[in-house]
Amino acid sequence: VGDGKGKKAIKRFESYKRENQLPLSVADLKIVVDAKSQTIIVPVFGRPVPFHIATLKNASKTDEGDWTYLRINFLSPGQGVGRKDDLPFEDPNAHFVRSLTYRSTDNDRMAEICAAIQDMKKNAVKREQERKEMED
Amino acid sequence: MPSDIETFENIFLDLSRTPGRFRFAPSGMGWRPTSGEIWKMANTELSTAQWSRAARGYELKLFTRTMGIVQLDGFELDDLDRVKECLKAYYKVNLEHREHALKGWNWGKAEFSKSELYFNVANKPAFEIPFAEVSNSNLAGKNEVAVEFATADVAAGGAGGTDEAGNKKKKKAAAQLDQLVEMRFYVPGTVKKGEEDA
Repeated sequence: VGDGKGKKAIKRFESYKRENQLPLSVADLKIVVDAKSQTIIVPVFGRPVPFHIATLKNASKTDEGDWTYLRINFLSPGQGVGRKDDLPFEDPNAHFVRSLTYRSTDNDRMAEICAAIQDMKKNAVKREQERKEMED
Repeated sequence: MPSDIETFENIFLDLSRTPGRFRFAPSGMGWRPTSGEIWKMANTELSTAQWSRAARGYELKLFTRTMGIVQLDGFELDDLDRVKECLKAYYKVNLEHREHALKGWNWGKAEFSKSELYFNVANKPAFEIPFAEVSNSNLAGKNEVAVEFATADVAAGGAGGTDEAGNKKKKKAAAQLDQLVEMRFYVPGTVKKGEEDA
């Protein structure tokens, strides 16, 4: 009966397949929320780095003086959020990006980004629930 | 063969906010912003070079002997052949084409090279962190590593800071409008069974 691990079919999602699919606005070196691809793109030392909404746990912001801090938390093992089927935990040696914190004095835009991420996540969760209900 | 000097316009040095003119010559390279200090590098400094997609167009990343990692972005895809030819003809350096992961996954493998940490997703790097940019790192919790970046210095100036030619080295993160402050990684336990509760 196999190795007992029971390989589960993992939902594979992919933000982009080719470089030219990245939105042009990444050139501003700012955080971009691309609803079309269900992806957040963050600048990391000049690189546009996509994170699919399915990897996201939540996003929150705090204001400190002139700065708005945006913290993006991602799903990773050992967080007690029992949604193991959502991520490929089959590789026990995988490392995860667990969180990113950005700050900007462009406070309104940071607030907009935070809201856009939360909306996108809410919709993604809703769609997922609907999909699961359909399967039942 | 390229001529004696090859020039590229609208190139950014180390994520500078304003572009400048970048030049290759047999004796070395130089970057001149619209206003501000000229940057120069002797041909003997260059060790290896990589080409890849960046946020701002394409990036030429130079690994140097004593000047750390130099990032030049704002290149167009069409510049590739000319850049490649210059590096080869002037410095006998091959331009390595580095393709990045765009899958949007947050899991992979953090690996270390001589001067940077890179996060591999499905065997392609998703991003790199030059060690010179890290201000602090610590074990934030069980299996959690926090990496902090140098940003404090421009706090007073705000996003509309006056830096024209990009901040001095080690402040690439701070030069940005959206500044990366901290990144946390989950790293699976290396603790042997039995030691875990100690």
